[in-house]
Amino acid sequence: MSGYYLGIDIGSAGSKAVIVDGAKISGWAVIPSGTNYATAAATVRARALEQAGLKEGDIKATAATGTGGRNAGADSYHGVILCDTRGVNTLFPTARTVIDIGGQGSQVITLDEAGKVVNFSISEICATGSARLLQVLARILGIKMEEIGPLSLKATRPSNFSTSCSVFLETEVITRISQGDKPEDILAGIHRSIAEKVVAMARGLTLQPDVVIIGGGAMDGGLVQAIEEKLDIKSLLPENPRIIAALGAAVIARET
Amino acid sequence: MNNLASQLHFAGIDIGSTMSKAVIVDAESAMKAYVVGPTGAEHRRRANKVMEDVLARADLKIEDIAYIVSTGYGRVNVPFADKQITELTCHARGVASLFPDVRTAIDIGGQDAKVLKIKNGRLTDFLTNDKCAAGTGRFLEVAAETLGLELNEMGRISMQTDTPVKINSLCTIFAQQEIISRLSEGQPLPDILAGVYIAIATRVVKLARQLKVETPVVFTGGVAKNAGMVKAMETVLGMKLLVPQEPLITGALGAAILARDQAYQLVQRGEYDSHREKKLSEAYIEFTEKGS
Repeated sequence: MSGYYLGIDIGSAGSKAVIVDGAKISGWAVIPSGTNYATAAATVRARALEQAGLKEGDIKATAATGTGGRNAGADSYHGVILCDTRGVNTLFPTARTVIDIGGQGSQVITLDEAGKVVNFSISEICATGSARLLQVLARILGIKMEEIGPLSLKATRPSNFSTSCSVFLETEVITRISQGDKPEDILAGIHRSIAEKVVAMARGLTLQPDVVIIGGGAMDGGLVQAIEEKLDIKSLLPENPRIIAALGAAVIARET
Repeated sequence: MNNLASQLHFAGIDIGSTMSKAVIVDAESAMKAYVVGPTGAEHRRRANKVMEDVLARADLKIEDIAYIVSTGYGRVNVPFADKQITELTCHARGVASLFPDVRTAIDIGGQDAKVLKIKNGRLTDFLTNDKCAAGTGRFLEVAAETLGLELNEMGRISMQTDTPVKINSLCTIFAQQEIISRLSEGQPLPDILAGVYIAIATRVVKLARQLKVETPVVFTGGVAKNAGMVKAMETVLGMKLLVPQEPLITGALGAAILARDQAYQLVQRGEYDSHREKKLSEAYIEFTEKGS
Protein backbone atom coordinates (compact mmCIF):
# COMPACT_ATOMS: atom_id res chain seq x y z
CA MET A 1 0.00 0.00 0.00
CA SER A 2 1.26 3.46 -0.75
CA GLY A 3 1.00 6.41 1.61
CA TYR A 4 2.57 7.38 4.91
CA TYR A 5 2.54 5.14 8.00
CA LEU A 6 3.77 6.01 11.47
CA GLY A 7 5.45 3.76 14.06
CA ILE A 8 5.97 4.87 17.67
CA ASP A 9 8.22 3.15 20.23
CA ILE A 10 7.86 4.48 23.79
CA GLY A 11 10.80 3.02 25.69
CA SER A 12 11.73 3.52 29.34
CA ALA A 13 14.47 5.98 28.38
CA GLY A 14 13.67 7.25 24.90
CA SER A 15 10.59 7.69 22.71
CA LYS A 16 11.03 7.24 18.98
CA ALA A 17 8.81 7.78 15.97
CA VAL A 18 9.39 6.77 12.36
CA ILE A 19 7.30 7.61 9.29
CA VAL A 20 7.60 5.33 6.26
CA ASP A 21 6.52 5.75 2.70
CA GLY A 22 6.73 2.27 1.23
CA ALA A 23 10.09 0.98 2.44
CA LYS A 24 11.58 4.48 2.60
CA ILE A 25 11.99 6.41 5.88
CA SER A 26 10.40 9.83 5.35
CA GLY A 27 11.02 11.20 8.81
CA TRP A 28 11.99 10.17 12.34
CA ALA A 29 12.52 11.61 15.82
CA VAL A 30 13.95 10.55 19.18
CA ILE A 31 13.19 12.32 22.48
CA PRO A 32 13.58 11.40 26.18
CA SER A 33 10.45 9.63 27.48
CA GLY A 34 10.20 11.54 30.75
CA THR A 35 7.48 10.49 33.20
CA ASN A 36 4.37 10.90 31.03
CA TYR A 37 4.24 8.43 28.16
CA ALA A 38 1.17 9.97 26.48
CA THR A 39 2.86 13.38 26.33
CA ALA A 40 6.08 11.80 25.04
CA ALA A 41 4.13 10.00 22.31
CA ALA A 42 2.38 13.19 21.17
CA THR A 43 5.63 15.14 21.14
CA VAL A 44 7.72 12.58 19.29
CA ARG A 45 4.95 12.09 16.75
CA ALA A 46 4.75 15.83 16.06
CA ARG A 47 8.54 16.01 15.68
CA ALA A 48 8.61 13.18 13.15
CA LEU A 49 5.80 14.77 11.14
CA GLU A 50 7.62 18.07 11.17
CA GLN A 51 10.86 16.45 10.01
CA ALA A 52 9.03 14.67 7.17
CA GLY A 53 7.20 17.88 6.24
CA LEU A 54 3.84 16.16 6.72
CA LYS A 55 0.59 16.84 8.53
CA GLU A 56 -1.32 14.54 10.88
CA GLY A 57 -3.90 13.95 8.13
CA ASP A 58 -1.24 12.52 5.79
CA ILE A 59 -0.77 9.45 8.02
CA LYS A 60 -2.89 6.48 6.98
CA ALA A 61 -2.32 4.35 10.08
CA THR A 62 -0.17 4.24 13.22
CA ALA A 63 1.22 1.37 15.33
CA ALA A 64 2.99 1.52 18.68
CA THR A 65 5.35 -0.64 20.74
CA GLY A 66 7.55 -0.40 23.85
CA THR A 67 6.99 -0.07 27.60
CA GLY A 68 4.66 2.92 27.21
CA GLY A 69 3.34 2.02 23.77
CA ARG A 70 -0.16 1.29 25.03
CA ASN A 71 -0.48 4.94 26.03
CA ALA A 72 0.71 6.24 22.66
CA GLY A 73 -2.72 6.73 21.13
CA ALA A 74 -1.88 4.56 18.10
CA ASP A 75 -4.29 2.49 16.00
CA SER A 76 -2.65 -0.75 17.14
CA TYR A 77 -0.06 -2.05 19.65
CA HIS A 78 2.52 -4.74 18.91
CA GLY A 79 5.14 -6.53 21.01
CA VAL A 80 8.69 -5.35 20.85
CA ILE A 81 10.03 -8.70 19.56
CA LEU A 82 7.86 -8.45 16.47
CA CYS A 83 8.64 -4.76 15.91
CA ASP A 84 12.41 -5.30 16.34
CA THR A 85 12.20 -8.14 13.84
CA ARG A 86 10.21 -6.25 11.21
CA GLY A 87 12.50 -3.23 11.53
CA VAL A 88 15.60 -5.37 11.10
CA ASN A 89 14.00 -7.30 8.18
CA THR A 90 13.46 -4.01 6.39
CA LEU A 91 17.07 -2.82 6.68
CA PHE A 92 18.92 -6.18 6.71
CA PRO A 93 16.97 -8.86 4.83
CA THR A 94 19.77 -11.36 5.50
CA ALA A 95 19.70 -10.96 9.30
CA ARG A 96 19.30 -14.20 11.29
CA THR A 97 20.02 -12.80 14.79
CA VAL A 98 18.92 -9.56 16.47
CA ILE A 99 20.46 -8.26 19.71
CA ASP A 100 18.58 -5.29 21.18
CA ILE A 101 20.28 -3.46 24.07
CA GLY A 102 17.61 -1.13 25.42
CA GLY A 103 17.36 1.36 28.24
CA GLN A 104 15.88 -1.07 30.74
CA GLY A 105 16.68 -4.54 29.49
CA SER A 106 17.67 -6.38 26.39
CA GLN A 107 16.52 -9.13 24.06
CA VAL A 108 18.06 -11.60 21.68
CA ILE A 109 15.94 -12.83 18.74
CA THR A 110 16.81 -15.58 16.26
CA LEU A 111 15.23 -15.57 12.78
CA ASP A 112 14.83 -18.14 10.02
CA GLU A 113 15.92 -17.65 6.41
CA ALA A 114 12.66 -15.90 5.65
CA GLY A 115 13.27 -13.46 8.51
CA LYS A 116 10.55 -14.93 10.75
CA VAL A 117 11.06 -15.27 14.53
CA VAL A 118 12.36 -18.71 15.55
CA ASN A 119 13.16 -18.06 19.20
CA PHE A 120 13.90 -15.21 21.57
CA SER A 121 15.12 -14.42 25.07
CA ILE A 122 14.18 -11.33 27.07
CA SER A 123 16.25 -10.20 30.05
CA GLU A 124 14.55 -9.41 33.30
CA ILE A 125 14.50 -5.72 34.06
CA CYS A 126 18.07 -5.26 35.21
CA ALA A 127 20.27 -2.18 34.82
CA THR A 128 23.36 -4.25 34.08
CA GLY A 129 21.66 -5.97 31.15
CA SER A 130 20.81 -2.62 29.64
CA ALA A 131 22.28 0.68 28.56
CA ARG A 132 21.23 2.17 31.89
CA LEU A 133 24.43 1.07 33.58
CA LEU A 134 26.34 3.19 31.06
CA GLN A 135 24.32 6.24 32.08
CA VAL A 136 25.17 5.61 35.73
CA LEU A 137 28.81 5.26 34.76
CA ALA A 138 28.88 8.40 32.64
CA ARG A 139 27.62 10.33 35.64
CA ILE A 140 30.31 8.91 37.96
CA LEU A 141 33.11 9.51 35.48
CA GLY A 142 31.77 12.93 34.51
CA ILE A 143 31.64 12.21 30.78
CA LYS A 144 28.95 12.25 28.11
CA MET A 145 27.23 9.04 26.98
CA GLU A 146 28.61 9.41 23.45
CA GLU A 147 32.16 9.67 24.80
CA ILE A 148 31.96 6.24 26.44
CA GLY A 149 32.46 4.15 23.30
CA PRO A 150 35.49 5.93 21.81
CA LEU A 151 37.17 6.27 25.22
CA SER A 152 36.67 2.59 26.13
CA LEU A 153 38.34 1.52 22.88
CA LYS A 154 41.60 3.04 24.20
CA ALA A 155 41.63 0.62 27.17
CA THR A 156 44.81 -1.35 27.67
CA ARG A 157 43.93 -3.26 30.86
CA PRO A 158 40.16 -3.55 31.32
CA SER A 159 39.21 -3.50 35.01
CA ASN A 160 37.82 -6.66 36.57
CA PHE A 161 34.71 -6.34 38.65
CA SER A 162 33.58 -8.76 41.35
CA THR A 163 29.88 -8.04 40.97
CA SER A 164 27.37 -7.80 38.15
CA CYS A 165 24.78 -5.65 39.95
CA SER A 166 24.80 -2.01 38.81
CA VAL A 167 24.23 -0.79 42.36
CA PHE A 168 27.27 -2.67 43.69
CA LEU A 169 29.24 -1.81 40.54
CA GLU A 170 28.74 1.87 41.26
CA THR A 171 30.57 1.45 44.57
CA GLU A 172 33.22 -0.74 43.01
CA VAL A 173 33.88 1.76 40.22
CA ILE A 174 34.47 4.48 42.81
CA THR A 175 36.91 2.17 44.62
CA ARG A 176 38.72 1.50 41.33
CA ILE A 177 38.97 5.20 40.56
CA SER A 178 40.55 5.74 43.97
CA GLN A 179 42.97 2.90 43.25
CA GLY A 180 44.07 4.68 40.08
CA ASP A 181 42.33 2.60 37.37
CA LYS A 182 42.05 4.65 34.19
CA PRO A 183 38.55 5.69 33.04
CA GLU A 184 39.01 3.83 29.73
CA ASP A 185 39.92 0.61 31.56
CA ILE A 186 36.91 0.96 33.87
CA LEU A 187 34.61 1.53 30.90
CA ALA A 188 36.00 -1.48 29.06
CA GLY A 189 35.50 -3.59 32.20
CA ILE A 190 31.90 -2.43 32.49
CA HIS A 191 31.31 -3.23 28.82
CA ARG A 192 32.43 -6.77 29.56
CA SER A 193 29.98 -7.01 32.48
CA ILE A 194 27.10 -5.95 30.23
CA ALA A 195 28.29 -8.26 27.44
CA GLU A 196 28.33 -11.17 29.91
CA LYS A 197 24.68 -10.52 30.73
CA VAL A 198 23.88 -10.61 27.01
CA VAL A 199 25.83 -13.86 26.63
CA ALA A 200 23.88 -15.39 29.54
CA MET A 201 20.67 -14.39 27.81
CA ALA A 202 21.75 -15.80 24.45
CA ARG A 203 22.54 -19.18 26.03
CA GLY A 204 20.32 -21.84 24.50
CA LEU A 205 19.78 -19.85 21.31
CA THR A 206 21.66 -20.65 18.10
CA LEU A 207 23.14 -17.40 16.85
CA GLN A 208 23.66 -17.43 13.09
CA PRO A 209 25.00 -14.64 10.91
CA ASP A 210 24.11 -12.01 10.00
CA VAL A 211 23.89 -10.62 13.53
CA VAL A 212 22.41 -7.13 13.85
CA ILE A 213 22.80 -5.12 17.08
CA ILE A 214 20.16 -2.47 17.73
CA GLY A 215 18.89 -0.29 20.57
CA GLY A 216 20.68 2.54 22.38
CA GLY A 217 23.48 0.15 23.39
CA ALA A 218 24.45 -0.30 19.72
CA MET A 219 25.54 3.36 19.62
CA ASP A 220 28.40 2.49 21.96
CA GLY A 221 31.25 1.07 19.86
CA GLY A 222 33.03 -0.27 22.93
CA LEU A 223 29.98 -2.24 24.03
CA VAL A 224 29.47 -3.60 20.51
CA GLN A 225 33.09 -4.75 20.45
CA ALA A 226 32.73 -6.42 23.90
CA ILE A 227 29.58 -8.26 22.77
CA GLU A 228 31.29 -9.37 19.56
CA GLU A 229 34.25 -10.70 21.54
CA LYS A 230 32.18 -12.51 24.18
CA LEU A 231 29.85 -14.10 21.62
CA ASP A 232 32.60 -14.61 19.04
CA ILE A 233 30.56 -12.96 16.29
CA LYS A 234 30.75 -10.07 13.85
CA SER A 235 27.80 -7.71 13.80
CA LEU A 236 26.03 -5.31 11.48
CA LEU A 237 24.86 -1.98 12.83
CA PRO A 238 22.05 0.20 11.54
CA GLU A 239 22.89 3.85 10.96
CA ASN A 240 20.37 4.83 13.65
CA PRO A 241 20.03 1.84 16.00
CA ARG A 242 17.53 3.42 18.40
CA ILE A 243 14.66 3.72 15.90
CA ILE A 244 14.49 0.12 14.66
CA ALA A 245 11.48 -0.97 16.74
CA ALA A 246 9.62 2.21 15.72
CA LEU A 247 10.51 1.47 12.09
CA GLY A 248 9.18 -2.06 12.56
CA ALA A 249 5.95 -0.67 14.02
CA ALA A 250 5.57 1.67 11.01
CA VAL A 251 6.07 -1.26 8.64
CA ILE A 252 3.47 -3.29 10.57
CA ALA A 253 1.04 -0.34 10.37
CA ARG A 254 1.52 -0.35 6.60
CA GLU A 255 1.02 -4.09 6.29
CA THR A 256 -2.15 -4.33 8.36
CA MET B 1 37.78 -27.37 82.33
CA ASN B 2 35.04 -27.26 84.98
CA ASN B 3 37.29 -25.60 87.53
CA LEU B 4 38.14 -22.92 84.99
CA ALA B 5 34.65 -22.55 83.67
CA SER B 6 33.47 -19.63 85.73
CA GLN B 7 36.37 -17.45 84.61
CA LEU B 8 36.48 -18.30 80.94
CA HIS B 9 34.90 -16.22 78.21
CA PHE B 10 34.66 -16.60 74.45
CA ALA B 11 34.21 -14.06 71.69
CA GLY B 12 32.65 -13.98 68.25
CA ILE B 13 33.34 -11.18 65.78
CA ASP B 14 31.23 -10.73 62.65
CA ILE B 15 32.66 -8.24 60.14
CA GLY B 16 29.77 -7.66 57.73
CA SER B 17 29.78 -5.57 54.57
CA THR B 18 28.04 -2.73 56.38
CA MET B 19 28.12 -3.43 60.13
CA SER B 20 30.60 -5.11 62.47
CA LYS B 21 29.37 -6.98 65.52
CA ALA B 22 31.08 -8.61 68.53
CA VAL B 23 29.63 -10.85 71.22
CA ILE B 24 31.17 -12.32 74.39
CA VAL B 25 29.66 -15.43 75.98
CA ASP B 26 30.56 -17.27 79.16
CA ALA B 27 31.15 -20.99 79.65
CA GLU B 28 27.38 -21.58 79.72
CA SER B 29 27.04 -19.82 76.32
CA ALA B 30 25.17 -17.00 78.03
CA MET B 31 25.74 -13.61 76.42
CA LYS B 32 27.77 -11.22 78.60
CA ALA B 33 28.03 -8.27 76.21
CA TYR B 34 27.66 -7.22 72.59
CA VAL B 35 28.47 -4.26 70.38
CA VAL B 36 27.48 -3.18 66.88
CA GLY B 37 29.25 -0.53 64.80
CA PRO B 38 29.69 0.45 61.15
CA THR B 39 32.36 -1.50 59.25
CA GLY B 40 33.80 1.31 57.16
CA ALA B 41 36.68 0.82 54.76
CA GLU B 42 39.35 -0.38 57.16
CA HIS B 43 38.32 -3.78 58.40
CA ARG B 44 41.33 -4.38 60.59
CA ARG B 45 40.96 -1.21 62.56
CA ARG B 46 37.24 -1.95 62.88
CA ALA B 47 37.86 -5.45 64.19
CA ASN B 48 40.10 -4.04 66.92
CA LYS B 49 37.59 -1.35 67.77
CA VAL B 50 34.60 -3.68 68.21
CA MET B 51 36.74 -6.07 70.23
CA GLU B 52 37.90 -3.26 72.52
CA ASP B 53 34.36 -2.01 72.92
CA VAL B 54 32.86 -5.39 73.72
CA LEU B 55 35.62 -6.10 76.25
CA ALA B 56 34.94 -2.78 77.94
CA ARG B 57 31.23 -3.51 78.04
CA ALA B 58 31.81 -6.97 79.56
CA ASP B 59 34.40 -5.48 81.93
CA LEU B 60 36.98 -7.99 80.73
CA LYS B 61 40.50 -7.87 79.32
CA ILE B 62 41.71 -9.56 76.16
CA GLU B 63 43.58 -12.10 78.35
CA ASP B 64 40.24 -13.22 79.78
CA ILE B 65 39.04 -14.41 76.37
CA ALA B 66 39.93 -18.05 75.86
CA TYR B 67 39.05 -18.31 72.19
CA ILE B 68 37.91 -15.99 69.40
CA VAL B 69 36.07 -16.94 66.20
CA SER B 70 35.72 -14.45 63.34
CA THR B 71 33.02 -14.63 60.70
CA GLY B 72 31.36 -12.56 58.00
CA TYR B 73 32.52 -11.01 54.79
CA GLY B 74 35.61 -9.45 56.46
CA ARG B 75 36.48 -12.43 58.69
CA VAL B 76 40.01 -12.73 57.25
CA ASN B 77 40.77 -9.26 58.57
CA VAL B 78 40.59 -10.16 62.25
CA PRO B 79 44.26 -10.89 62.98
CA PHE B 80 43.71 -11.85 66.61
CA ALA B 81 41.02 -14.47 65.90
CA ASP B 82 41.88 -18.11 66.63
CA LYS B 83 39.70 -19.41 63.84
CA GLN B 84 37.56 -18.22 60.94
CA ILE B 85 34.18 -19.88 60.42
CA THR B 86 31.73 -19.08 57.60
CA GLU B 87 28.78 -16.85 58.38
CA LEU B 88 26.27 -19.57 57.43
CA THR B 89 27.54 -21.93 60.15
CA CYS B 90 27.78 -19.15 62.74
CA HIS B 91 24.44 -17.76 61.84
CA ALA B 92 22.67 -21.13 62.10
CA ARG B 93 24.27 -21.72 65.48
CA GLY B 94 23.35 -18.27 66.77
CA VAL B 95 19.73 -18.49 65.65
CA ALA B 96 19.32 -22.02 67.04
CA SER B 97 20.71 -20.91 70.41
CA LEU B 98 17.94 -18.30 70.66
CA PHE B 99 15.18 -20.36 69.02
CA PRO B 100 16.00 -24.07 69.45
CA ASP B 101 13.02 -25.19 67.29
CA VAL B 102 13.89 -22.93 64.33
CA ARG B 103 13.40 -24.57 60.91
CA THR B 104 13.94 -21.60 58.59
CA ALA B 105 16.10 -18.52 59.11
CA ILE B 106 15.92 -15.55 56.76
CA ASP B 107 18.70 -12.99 57.09
CA ILE B 108 18.75 -9.72 55.17
CA GLY B 109 22.03 -7.88 55.53
CA GLY B 110 23.47 -4.69 54.10
CA GLN B 111 24.52 -6.25 50.80
CA ASP B 112 23.16 -9.78 50.79
CA ALA B 113 20.33 -12.04 51.83
CA LYS B 114 20.46 -15.64 52.99
CA VAL B 115 17.90 -18.32 53.66
CA LEU B 116 18.93 -21.17 55.96
CA LYS B 117 17.12 -24.42 56.62
CA ILE B 118 17.90 -25.68 60.12
CA LYS B 119 16.93 -28.94 61.79
CA ASN B 120 17.79 -29.88 65.38
CA GLY B 121 20.04 -26.83 65.50
CA ARG B 122 22.02 -27.91 62.43
CA LEU B 123 22.25 -26.24 59.04
CA THR B 124 20.70 -28.57 56.44
CA ASP B 125 20.42 -26.33 53.36
CA PHE B 126 20.84 -22.70 52.33
CA LEU B 127 20.59 -20.19 49.49
CA THR B 128 22.18 -16.77 49.26
CA ASN B 129 21.85 -13.69 47.10
CA ASP B 130 24.84 -11.40 46.92
CA LYS B 131 24.57 -10.80 43.19
CA CYS B 132 21.76 -8.28 43.08
CA ALA B 133 21.06 -5.31 45.37
CA ALA B 134 17.31 -5.86 45.15
CA GLY B 135 16.31 -7.91 48.19
CA THR B 136 19.12 -6.56 50.38
CA GLY B 137 19.56 -3.67 52.77
CA ARG B 138 21.19 -1.76 49.96
CA PHE B 139 17.81 -1.35 48.27
CA LEU B 140 16.53 0.32 51.45
CA GLU B 141 19.55 2.62 51.60
CA VAL B 142 18.99 3.70 48.00
CA ALA B 143 15.29 4.32 48.73
CA ALA B 144 16.15 6.30 51.88
CA GLU B 145 18.65 8.40 49.96
CA THR B 146 16.17 9.05 47.16
CA LEU B 147 13.50 10.16 49.62
CA GLY B 148 15.89 12.04 51.91
CA LEU B 149 14.91 9.98 54.96
CA GLU B 150 16.76 8.17 57.75
CA LEU B 151 16.43 4.38 57.68
CA ASN B 152 14.74 4.23 61.08
CA GLU B 153 12.21 6.93 60.12
CA MET B 154 11.21 4.93 57.05
CA GLY B 155 9.91 1.97 59.03
CA ARG B 156 7.83 4.15 61.30
CA ILE B 157 6.29 6.14 58.45
CA SER B 158 5.49 3.02 56.43
CA MET B 159 3.47 1.59 59.34
CA GLN B 160 0.88 4.37 58.89
CA THR B 161 -0.69 2.69 55.85
CA ASP B 162 -2.27 -0.56 54.74
CA THR B 163 -2.34 0.39 51.06
CA PRO B 164 1.19 0.05 49.71
CA VAL B 165 1.95 1.40 46.24
CA LYS B 166 3.06 -1.26 43.80
CA ILE B 167 6.74 -0.91 42.87
CA ASN B 168 7.10 -2.92 39.67
CA SER B 169 10.86 -2.76 39.22
CA LEU B 170 12.82 -5.47 40.95
CA CYS B 171 16.06 -3.76 39.87
CA THR B 172 17.17 -1.20 42.47
CA ILE B 173 18.28 1.30 39.84
CA PHE B 174 14.90 1.32 38.10
CA ALA B 175 12.99 1.20 41.39
CA GLN B 176 14.71 4.45 42.37
CA GLN B 177 13.29 6.05 39.22
CA GLU B 178 9.90 4.52 39.97
CA ILE B 179 9.90 5.97 43.50
CA ILE B 180 10.49 9.42 42.04
CA SER B 181 7.64 8.93 39.53
CA ARG B 182 5.26 7.81 42.29
CA LEU B 183 6.21 10.88 44.36
CA SER B 184 5.63 13.19 41.40
CA GLU B 185 2.21 11.58 40.88
CA GLY B 186 1.39 12.66 44.43
CA GLN B 187 1.20 9.20 46.03
CA PRO B 188 1.40 9.44 49.85
CA LEU B 189 4.86 8.80 51.32
CA PRO B 190 3.74 6.01 53.71
CA ASP B 191 2.23 4.11 50.75
CA ILE B 192 5.45 4.47 48.74
CA LEU B 193 7.58 3.29 51.66
CA ALA B 194 5.31 0.33 52.35
CA GLY B 195 5.61 -0.47 48.62
CA VAL B 196 9.41 -0.40 48.86
CA TYR B 197 9.30 -2.95 51.71
CA ILE B 198 6.90 -5.19 49.79
CA ALA B 199 9.26 -5.06 46.78
CA ILE B 200 12.23 -6.22 48.88
CA ALA B 201 10.15 -8.85 50.65
CA THR B 202 8.91 -10.20 47.32
CA ARG B 203 12.46 -10.65 46.11
CA VAL B 204 13.62 -12.38 49.31
CA VAL B 205 10.55 -14.60 49.60
CA LYS B 206 11.14 -15.74 46.01
CA LEU B 207 14.59 -16.88 47.14
CA ALA B 208 13.20 -18.50 50.31
CA ARG B 209 10.52 -20.41 48.42
CA GLN B 210 13.21 -22.20 46.41
CA LEU B 211 13.79 -24.01 49.69
CA LYS B 212 10.71 -25.08 51.61
CA VAL B 213 9.70 -22.44 54.14
CA GLU B 214 8.90 -24.39 57.32
CA THR B 215 7.88 -22.84 60.65
CA PRO B 216 9.11 -21.52 62.97
CA VAL B 217 10.71 -18.90 60.74
CA VAL B 218 13.25 -16.54 62.30
CA PHE B 219 14.03 -13.21 60.63
CA THR B 220 17.43 -11.62 61.31
CA GLY B 221 20.00 -9.21 59.91
CA GLY B 222 20.11 -5.42 60.04
CA VAL B 223 17.01 -5.16 57.87
CA ALA B 224 14.98 -7.14 60.44
CA LYS B 225 15.36 -4.19 62.85
CA ASN B 226 12.92 -2.35 60.64
CA ALA B 227 9.30 -2.85 61.75
CA GLY B 228 8.00 -1.95 58.28
CA MET B 229 10.15 -4.66 56.77
CA VAL B 230 8.97 -7.28 59.30
CA LYS B 231 5.36 -6.43 58.46
CA ALA B 232 6.06 -6.66 54.71
CA MET B 233 7.81 -10.03 55.08
CA GLU B 234 4.90 -11.38 57.13
CA THR B 235 2.43 -10.10 54.52
CA VAL B 236 4.27 -11.62 51.55
CA LEU B 237 5.07 -14.91 53.33
CA GLY B 238 1.62 -15.13 54.88
CA MET B 239 3.01 -16.19 58.25
CA LYS B 240 4.29 -14.78 61.53
CA LEU B 241 8.01 -14.34 61.98
CA LEU B 242 10.16 -14.57 65.08
CA VAL B 243 12.59 -11.68 65.39
CA PRO B 244 15.37 -11.71 68.02
CA GLN B 245 15.59 -8.71 70.30
CA GLU B 246 18.85 -7.74 68.61
CA PRO B 247 18.61 -9.22 65.07
CA LEU B 248 22.03 -7.99 63.93
CA ILE B 249 24.16 -10.08 66.25
CA THR B 250 23.08 -13.68 65.62
CA GLY B 251 26.16 -14.37 63.47
CA ALA B 252 28.53 -12.98 66.12
CA LEU B 253 26.62 -14.85 68.84
CA GLY B 254 26.95 -18.11 66.89
CA ALA B 255 30.66 -17.39 66.40
CA ALA B 256 31.11 -16.88 70.16
CA ILE B 257 29.31 -20.13 70.97
CA LEU B 258 31.41 -21.94 68.35
CA ALA B 259 34.50 -20.36 69.96
CA ARG B 260 33.45 -21.97 73.23
CA ASP B 261 33.02 -25.36 71.47
CA GLN B 262 36.44 -25.03 69.85
CA ALA B 263 38.10 -24.26 73.19
CA TYR B 264 36.39 -27.26 74.81
CA GLN B 265 37.69 -29.51 72.04
CA LEU B 266 41.23 -28.24 72.64
CA VAL B 267 40.86 -28.97 76.36
CA GLN B 268 39.64 -32.50 75.63
CA ARG B 269 42.62 -33.11 73.37
CA GLY B 270 44.95 -31.67 76.03
CA GLU B 271 46.06 -28.92 73.65
CA TYR B 272 44.54 -25.95 75.34
CA ASP B 273 47.56 -24.84 77.37
CA SER B 274 49.93 -24.77 74.44
CA HIS B 275 47.32 -22.95 72.35
CA ARG B 276 46.88 -20.41 75.11
CA GLU B 277 50.59 -19.79 75.41
CA LYS B 278 50.99 -19.28 71.69
CA LYS B 279 48.02 -17.00 71.63
CA LEU B 280 49.23 -14.83 74.47
CA SER B 281 52.59 -14.42 72.83
CA GLU B 282 51.44 -13.64 69.28
CA ALA B 283 47.89 -12.78 68.48
CA TYR B 284 47.06 -10.82 71.60
CA ILE B 285 50.14 -8.71 71.16
CA GLU B 286 48.97 -7.93 67.66
CA PHE B 287 45.62 -6.94 69.09
CA THR B 288 47.03 -4.62 71.73
CA GLU B 289 49.52 -3.01 69.36
CA LYS B 290 47.15 -2.42 66.48
CA GLY B 291 44.26 -1.57 68.69
CA SER B 292 46.07 1.20 70.51
